[in-house]
Amino acid sequence: MLNFDEIFVTRNWFGKPVRRDADTRFVKGEGSYVDDLNMDCVYAGFVRSPHAHARLGKIDTSKAEALKGVLAVMTGPEVAALTKPVGARAITRPARQHVMATGKVRYVGEPVAVVVAEDRYTVEDALDLVEVEYEPLPVVVEVEEAMKAGAPLVFEEAETNVLLHDTLTHGDIDGAFRQADLVVKEQFRIQRFSSTPLENWAIIAKHEKGTDSFVVWANCQQPGRSIVNVCGCLGIPANKLRFIVPDSGGGFGIKLALWPYIVSQCVVARKVDKPVKWIQTRREHLLAGTHTPDCVVDLELALKRDGKVLGLKIRDRQNDGSFVHTAGIYNLIKFATMVGCYDIKATQAELMSIVSNKAPTVQNRGVGKPAMIFTLERLMHRAAVQLGLDPAEIRFRNFVQPEQMPHTTPSGEIYESGNYPETLRKALAQIGYDGVKKEQESLRKQGKYIGVGLSASIEPGTSNLGYYYTSRGTPEYMGNAEGAIVSMDYDGNVNVLLGSVDEGQGHATSVAQVVADMLAFTPERVTMNTHMDSLVSPFLGHSGCYANRFNDVDMGAVIMATKKVRDKVLKIGAHMLGVPEGEVRLKDGAVCSAAEAKKSAPFKDIATVAYKQILLLPKGVEPGLKEVAYYKNEIAKMPGKEDFNVQMTHSNSVHAAVVEVDVESGMVSFRKYVIAHDCGRHINPGIVDGMAIGSTVHGVGTVLLEEFIYDENGQILTTSFVDYMKPLAVGLPRFELTHLESPCPTSLLGTKAVGEGGAIGSLAAIANAVEDALAPFGVKVTSLPITPEKVMRAIRETKVI
Amino acid sequence: MHKIKVKINGTDYENEVEPRLLLVHYLRDKAHLTGTHVGCDTGNCGACTVFLNGKPVKSCNMLAVQADGADLMTVEGLARGGALHPVQEAFLDKFAVQCGYCTPGMMLSALALLKSNPKPSEAEIREAIEGNICMCTGYQQIVDAIAHAADLMGQSRSA
Ligand code: FES
Ligand code: FES
Repeated sequence: MLNFDEIFVTRNWFGKPVRRDADTRFVKGEGSYVDDLNMDCVYAGFVRSPHAHARLGKIDTSKAEALKGVLAVMTGPEVAALTKPVGARAITRPARQHVMATGKVRYVGEPVAVVVAEDRYTVEDALDLVEVEYEPLPVVVEVEEAMKAGAPLVFEEAETNVLLHDTLTHGDIDGAFRQADLVVKEQFRIQRFSSTPLENWAIIAKHEKGTDSFVVWANCQQPGRSIVNVCGCLGIPANKLRFIVPDSGGGFGIKLALWPYIVSQCVVARKVDKPVKWIQTRREHLLAGTHTPDCVVDLELALKRDGKVLGLKIRDRQNDGSFVHTAGIYNLIKFATMVGCYDIKATQAELMSIVSNKAPTVQNRGVGKPAMIFTLERLMHRAAVQLGLDPAEIRFRNFVQPEQMPHTTPSGEIYESGNYPETLRKALAQIGYDGVKKEQESLRKQGKYIGVGLSASIEPGTSNLGYYYTSRGTPEYMGNAEGAIVSMDYDGNVNVLLGSVDEGQGHATSVAQVVADMLAFTPERVTMNTHMDSLVSPFLGHSGCYANRFNDVDMGAVIMATKKVRDKVLKIGAHMLGVPEGEVRLKDGAVCSAAEAKKSAPFKDIATVAYKQILLLPKGVEPGLKEVAYYKNEIAKMPGKEDFNVQMTHSNSVHAAVVEVDVESGMVSFRKYVIAHDCGRHINPGIVDGMAIGSTVHGVGTVLLEEFIYDENGQILTTSFVDYMKPLAVGLPRFELTHLESPCPTSLLGTKAVGEGGAIGSLAAIANAVEDALAPFGVKVTSLPITPEKVMRAIRETKVI
Repeated sequence: MHKIKVKINGTDYENEVEPRLLLVHYLRDKAHLTGTHVGCDTGNCGACTVFLNGKPVKSCNMLAVQADGADLMTVEGLARGGALHPVQEAFLDKFAVQCGYCTPGMMLSALALLKSNPKPSEAEIREAIEGNICMCTGYQQIVDAIAHAADLMGQSRSA
């Protein structure tokens, strides 16, 4: 592996809060999101099922087709007949599903027919004219019903609603529970929610008649896999699909699986022979997914009297709704994260992915880690209280210690770096822990209830794909990697392309900083087009913006490609200067003689030789200055049940929250919030801070506000931002950040994951603070979200939130 | 079809529109000013915020015909003569932009505040952008950017 010190020639930009001037288009209103692309499109819209579960009868499209401006109407069964079923990843039971409903509908909002018309408004008119006959079927909504004997089946061919059921045991779990002085257990219910990117899904599909091929523009987060899936469902070879991802208005995982809609849109685009645009509405987005699955988690901790945790058991029942492609994924990520920051030697995970008549689910920010760390850290808090230990102390007694790094967890996850005790010490100092505890006592006497909550969490990154095959055979994807093309152009400037996409993280700026320091010039001379185009971008099946992988494999690919360009530039430069290769160096955008700095060849002159005066090139050197590199994380193990690392970098944090609960209204408000965070080295601290705060606010929404509510008929009641409430600027605390930097030894820059952490660590910190505040009332928090209504009910009657 | 005349960012436009056409779709699809975004269908997110006769409005919440005769400003009207507006500079300076989708609406709400209150407190800033949802940033850097914009605009006034 390239050594950190060999990477950089200068250190002028790496680690500095370089302004995101590369994204100035966004402040000018000149971004190019899919809906901004103007190419004489016609518009698509979907007729969606009003039933949660029903047999699909006759679909009469004649009235809609007769409407002026309507170009085509295709039904779900018609689209299904022209496409192959959706592939499953983690589940072990057979379940057959198409990109649109056929035979029956399985959730409210499932697409039943697609309409194409000349403008958006005519589409809406035509949707009302499609007549669909439904024969309602019994519905399953919650996991308990879905698991009952004789429950209505979502997929009959599976013969059960439990599509993945596996138990993974590591270490001496029975011994751990036998030796325990105390077993603490709880059942937690975590709601359905979503990070709801502000830009909804958006797709343009165009059929090229001459070549019978497709061009697609989509705000897709995972082009590498989507290309495989779209081609698979359409039954076309990869060379018949050009896939383009322009600017995207946020992703958070929610844009990982919009590809089923790409498939149906390609089918209608072929029919109407015009580019077809579909812009999802917010109602559709909230109604039909994708969501984070809700779950019921039973967790048990076996402890010694001194607070040492001997073993941990989880029984996870995950309500994966009705999308076979992603079902089971959350279970497996929870399993991989289950010991959190602790040195726990024995674990058992019973995992169940359960289908229901709720909307499809997808990997939302943190994917199972928020739920896992929430339940673990709730129970650590509970255990501390039961043992009469301070909640900070019980954590200190169980942390993996810095000198144990790299530390392998019972199931094979390798924690490569981090200083967990120091992270907690920093958080305690910043929050003024002892002071808050004293204040709490005196305020209680005045009838004011404040509480402090801690949560220590790991934030894994770079998933080792294939994890979802833990319960199956050989996976289709393994490890993780990314590709980059770096070229120096005629002017001696550098252009970068990645196989991956940007969902708003400012990749272009981070890349420019690193490349500038590798080539001893300035970030303004580095351009990165963050749009992905499968015709030119160096993508892999792994390519995409997910799993916190940018700082690892994306940067790795950029560095390796830049290094190739640099080596070539040095070689040509040395030759031009007539100096031996080992005696030149880079300075101010030029190759100069180490002995005689004035003797120099600016990049522009080198590029002239490389591209034009090619007879002046050194012997054996090819013309041109464009290099491609693919970089893979080397620590990925082969997928397996016994010993497997699901994620390959491990950041960590401690969130500490001080809240006040108004016992008259049930409102929770923040008094102070500290994030102590370690994501290794920072490329750009301004971006890192934004990721840490932004992800934490996702957690705040999860804990206090957001929930997709379904009634017993499977009707979803929360389909606008009036009922599905998002955090607003008012009501949030000022987050105080404190950083540690434990460099990651397995990524080239020592950088680690930074995009998901707050969404993982914040849940338990806030919930623990609420429980601490309400301790005088004996109220326990076992479910989310903590709404005023639930708080009041708990204080007055139930004692349980 | 109705004929409407509007001024947008100083330029006159005249179009035939359906009476039901939303102002936001008029701006995006007819005037081809795509900096104004759509993030919801219920008037909650503020991504579509523009100025109508000097006041911020949610352009998804009104019809194009209701804007007939109005003087509009969209995000594209902020920068003048190639120079960014101080609010735009401040958003870049403070890392207030992640995906950029809320940014146009957010900046216009910020500008509306700063016009009436040139030195807002943090609480006033937070209140002023309560109708604008940002899914990415968690708002803190946006709040800092607006305070910073107030400083920049104060400096340019006193200069
Ligand atoms: S699009 Fe206008 S408020 Fe959301
Ligand atoms: S920056 Fe993405 S929604 Fe605000």
